[in-house]
Amino acid sequence: MTAPVLPLTPVSPPAGASDFLVLEAISKGFPGVQALDGAGLGVRAGEIHGVVGENGAGKSTLIKVLAGVYRPDAGRILLNGAEIETGSPDAVQAAGVRFIHQELNLVPHFTVAETIFLGQELSGPFGLRTGAMRRAAEAFLKDSLDAAIAGNRLIADLGIAERKLVQIARALIDGKARVVVFDEPTAPLSHTEIEHLFRAIDALARRGIAMIYVSHYLSEITRICHRVSVLRNGRNVGLVDPVGPDDADRLISLMVGRDIGDLYPKRNHAAAAPWLKLTSLSQSPHYADVDLELRRGEIVGLAGLIGSGREELVDTIVGLARPASGSISIDGRPLRSGSTAAAAGRGLAHVPRDRRNDGLVLAMNVADNINLASLEAVSTGGFVRRGAATTRAQQSAEALDIRPKTVSTAARLLSGGNQQKVVLARGLATGASLFVLDEPTIGVDVGAKAEIYALIERLAAEGAAVLVSSSDPAELLGLCDRILVLLRGRIVAEVTPETTDLDRLVALTTGGDAAGGIAA
Amino acid sequence: MSAFVASLPALSRRGLARHGFLAIIALCFIGFAVANPSFVGAANLVNILSGAVIPLVVGLGMTLVVALGAIDLSVGIALDFGSAFAIVILKDYGAPWYLAVLVGIAGGALVGLANAILIVRLRISPFLATLGTFFIGGSLQRIFTHGGGPISYRRLPPEYYDIAVGEVFGIPVRLLIATALLIAYFLLLERSTFGKKIHAVGLQSRAARGAGLPVGKLVAIGFVLAGATAAVGGLVASANLRMFTPLAGNAYLMDAITAVFIGASMHRDGRPNVLGTLTGVLFLSMVANGLNLMGLDFNLKDALSGLILVAALALSITQHRRRT
Repeated sequence: MTAPVLPLTPVSPPAGASDFLVLEAISKGFPGVQALDGAGLGVRAGEIHGVVGENGAGKSTLIKVLAGVYRPDAGRILLNGAEIETGSPDAVQAAGVRFIHQELNLVPHFTVAETIFLGQELSGPFGLRTGAMRRAAEAFLKDSLDAAIAGNRLIADLGIAERKLVQIARALIDGKARVVVFDEPTAPLSHTEIEHLFRAIDALARRGIAMIYVSHYLSEITRICHRVSVLRNGRNVGLVDPVGPDDADRLISLMVGRDIGDLYPKRNHAAAAPWLKLTSLSQSPHYADVDLELRRGEIVGLAGLIGSGREELVDTIVGLARPASGSISIDGRPLRSGSTAAAAGRGLAHVPRDRRNDGLVLAMNVADNINLASLEAVSTGGFVRRGAATTRAQQSAEALDIRPKTVSTAARLLSGGNQQKVVLARGLATGASLFVLDEPTIGVDVGAKAEIYALIERLAAEGAAVLVSSSDPAELLGLCDRILVLLRGRIVAEVTPETTDLDRLVALTTGGDAAGGIAA
Repeated sequence: MSAFVASLPALSRRGLARHGFLAIIALCFIGFAVANPSFVGAANLVNILSGAVIPLVVGLGMTLVVALGAIDLSVGIALDFGSAFAIVILKDYGAPWYLAVLVGIAGGALVGLANAILIVRLRISPFLATLGTFFIGGSLQRIFTHGGGPISYRRLPPEYYDIAVGEVFGIPVRLLIATALLIAYFLLLERSTFGKKIHAVGLQSRAARGAGLPVGKLVAIGFVLAGATAAVGGLVASANLRMFTPLAGNAYLMDAITAVFIGASMHRDGRPNVLGTLTGVLFLSMVANGLNLMGLDFNLKDALSGLILVAALALSITQHRRRT
């Protein structure tokens, strides 16, 4: 870790102090999934308590149970020894528990003071006490959050970090907050802005407020938190106490803890000349200076958390967005940016992450969807040869084992895995030479996953260049020849599955890798 | 009625529900015939068809635009431009009839092109963009005619006049024109690759874009075609009256939209479609004609045709729901 360790870590809450907030043996099931299975949490006054876990580990369900959004099937919540009613957001609010959500949800044309006092305005005999509210807002920001922000500035004129502080001030201005929950507070922030936020959080800890800090960024967790609870599959798998800057690896091994198995086919690619080439592609604030080379027959992975710029980078490559600078070329010729039609014309097939909105025309049938991108191949003089179109779709559906087999079925009636195969079949039908697969197995059951992996493998074996963007590091390790890791918009590492294990890849994406360092 | 429906075999019951609106049209037809026997006379039936020609032509373009997931409020303006361009080039420049036809169609296409630029380039929503064209186009007509007076031209070339009044083997030319456009639009929207793409854009434009379809280009072509088609209606109208009447086209706007949505409500998947639009246009023309023959108060007619429309749709939709 290259960032300077601030003198904030500090003021440890008295050792052995009893927990101020206790979530006890919380269980919560949803149809088909047990999100929480006896999970718990204890937070002391003045403590910053980290909660980590992979996607689906139960972090957000636990927070929603605390917030009263969900009523747990079992378990209870104690605040300062007294049980509070579960499943009631009002009771939780009244008990002094505040949530700082990831989204800002502030009105851009309100002033700082108006925003902070929205719904809790100060009024006197002559109406709203505008001046008093402005002074109170400024004083609170200064004293409690160590931030100097004028109360009459507009939200629209503030930076993201300042907005975050205003959001925090708004939750705490009534002075009744005793527990504050932060959900991924740094996701949209730059490095220096994070320091700003951390000073504010530290100021709150000194005032004796109990805090829960949920984040994917382990480097932040290990720096700012006193203790960390690790969740996996809805259970507590560890409590790191106290946590220090060197504990990232320990957290990762607690978080992960599963085998990749034989889900992925084996391969042996012969590398060819570069097919897709990105040259210092940048789009502020999402990603910067991205260089990438992808050869035919090769599968290259893109790893990175939500907010790492991975989605925006993929959108740019496929023509859904334009880069601010840099260039994309396919087979040595530059690609016109910002046009999916231009990209398709150059042999790019896109499998989008939001399959239901962007992938398929749900109201059309399977045959029409398979043929949609290559209608010219089954038409004469602009008119579709309906027999030929159906036959081709039928063959394609059989080759990919799409169920049900009748291609006149509406696409919306298919399962996620089969819908994904239809999107792939559509790309195959165009004879594409470059496949960009964004979260190819999201919402797909395990059986269909293995089939899709085999299909991706076949694409590469038959000479296509394949780019796989995924939030599942195990998937990337199993599938790819090389993996590029994006962290806060920059490629911070390029690794191969042979030399990298799951722990290290997760560490790289979370910036918690001691050797690699984080992009400052 | 429902007992009668239930007694039918399952297959034909489903057919009746799908085509419930057709059954209601038939009922209306019988009703008008009973009220006034001359309604079913051959001359009057030709009247009904002739009255449907311009609404059908305008409605076909509208079908294309609605299939794209958009709306065109300026089809009436495109119709007017078609009429104006043709009459002016005939009267002031002595152009031959075929050139007038081409220039008239180009005039309508121009309106569509303006829409396309507003919608595709400037990303204004189709409703607002075509509303803008509607106002600007209307104003331009008033300015050009110094306040909205018609431009008449009694000495039309006979070929041009024949667009409205001529006959080929006893069939009115205007019916032939409408039939040709009907077939062309059917092939375009229901059988061509272009039509498949149009429907994909209209159903889910994000997915169409994801599939690499040139969505902007398709939308632009759709609006230009809709304008050009409406202009054909303007040619028929100007030939019929031997004049350009400013702002006359807007009378067809509501009928075109109504016919398209009647047609869509009859479709299995609720999609705008060419045969459905034809049915809608014929229904509206029949009701207008039938009410006319009944000699009702002019002021009452609109209310009655509205009532018949709403009642017919409500009935057919009730039947539709009962099925599912």
